[in-house]
Amino acid sequence: MDQEQKPIDDMTFREAMAELDGIVATLEGNTLELEDSLKGYERGVALLASLQKRLADAEQKVSVLMGELSGEKDDEVRDTTLS
Amino acid sequence: MAYETAWGQQAETLEQNGALSVSAAMAQAKRALEGVTVRIIGEVSEVSVKPGYKAAYFTVKDSSAALPCMMWNNRYREAGVQLAVGQLVELTGRFTLYAAKGRMNFDVFSIALAGEGDLRLKVANIAKKLRAEGLTDPARKRPLPVFPERIGLVTSPRSAAVHDVLRTLRRRFPVAEVLLAGVPVEGAQAPIGIIEGLRCVVSAGAQVVLVVRGGGSFEDMMPFNDEFLARAIAACPVPVVTGIGHEVDTAIADMVSDVRASTPTAAAEAVSPSRENLESLMSSRASSLSASASLAIERAKARVTRAAERPMFADPLMLFASEAQAIDLASERLSRAIPARLQRDSQLIDTASGRLLRVGSSLTERFAYQMATSAARLDDLSPVNTLARGYSITRNEQGDIMRHVSQAPVGSTVEITLSDGSLVCDVIESHKK
Repeated sequence: MDQEQKPIDDMTFREAMAELDGIVATLEGNTLELEDSLKGYERGVALLASLQKRLADAEQKVSVLMGELSGEKDDEVRDTTLS
Repeated sequence: MAYETAWGQQAETLEQNGALSVSAAMAQAKRALEGVTVRIIGEVSEVSVKPGYKAAYFTVKDSSAALPCMMWNNRYREAGVQLAVGQLVELTGRFTLYAAKGRMNFDVFSIALAGEGDLRLKVANIAKKLRAEGLTDPARKRPLPVFPERIGLVTSPRSAAVHDVLRTLRRRFPVAEVLLAGVPVEGAQAPIGIIEGLRCVVSAGAQVVLVVRGGGSFEDMMPFNDEFLARAIAACPVPVVTGIGHEVDTAIADMVSDVRASTPTAAAEAVSPSRENLESLMSSRASSLSASASLAIERAKARVTRAAERPMFADPLMLFASEAQAIDLASERLSRAIPARLQRDSQLIDTASGRLLRVGSSLTERFAYQMATSAARLDDLSPVNTLARGYSITRNEQGDIMRHVSQAPVGSTVEITLSDGSLVCDVIESHKK
């Protein structure tokens, strides 16, 4: 499918998502050779796994560029109950 | 007519008694009132501004009094104020009387919105200006990135709003990095701080910026009505989402931003995909993927099966069928052709031989007759008959019929044929004539 495939780990969430969408669309288009279909499938599954893992494992990174962020005590507590 | 005259005369008479007519009294009162110009602050409670009128009519009040006001249209237009019930206004003018109805009015020379009203006017004017420049045009609004990697957040670092946003983003889309610019959001310096915060997060790579603060009074929100901030938001190279905590009023910042959210949390939700949506999107992608892959395999399988069912593979001889048939056909023709040819040839030969035979026999007949004639003649000429008449034939040792004596030297033998036999004789002497 793609001539040069970027390593998935180097991709942003959006790029990975866009490539996954593209793969699904192409596969659904039913125009590929079997080998390419299977390659696409493999790549799609890998992208999907990476995306899901990122969502599950991500810890939001907050970079404070200006000012000083004052912590909110019950932040963590609320968070664990939410997720 | 008569009655009116009578009444007029009566009034005249009464005036002479020191009493005033209504008109005169009103004229005196009017003069007394109009001598003084005053400034009044009050809340607008009724407004009647209609196209056909020569003046704007309204009422101002406070907790215990109300005053009907009128303002000539030219003055009203000059003031640039859009009257509305509930506005706090500062009026300059004089009291006057409308004699025909005996009503006291306040004749307004100038009007200005007072206090918050004044702020609102300023805000309205800025809004008008920006709108005229097209900065609030819906066509300018940019779509938000779907999965932003870096989200700028410009707000007070010590507020519930910042934590509302961070919590929401962490819950929904922890993949994104948040670039926070903690800036003052109240007071005269706030607009400059917010503008600098915007610049700062954008240069750090934010793909979308949230400008948020929690709820507050109209005055609290004034930094978000700042013209320079509005221009900075409009000029921001990436989309800006405002979440300024107030439901009713719209700040100038909201008008020029790409998306206006009602609260900081709503602003955070606007820039992040919901976790649930993402997860259902992923599982739908997963099932699409496997469905497509199985379909591709099924299709390939069907193609292989179809190919395998082709006669060529089912019966390999089919590949050579036409050649084989051609050969068969040729051999059959060949086998039929040779005997037929032979038969035809043998018939020809038969015919020819028959003809030959017939011709042959007729030929011999002719020759047989000639031969008989010739034989009779031959018999006449035969040497046998000559021998019978006494002649003989002599042959030398070589068998040659001798005509000369030299052919048989003395000492050799000769054979003499006679009519009834032959004699072998020695040559004793030879006499040549």
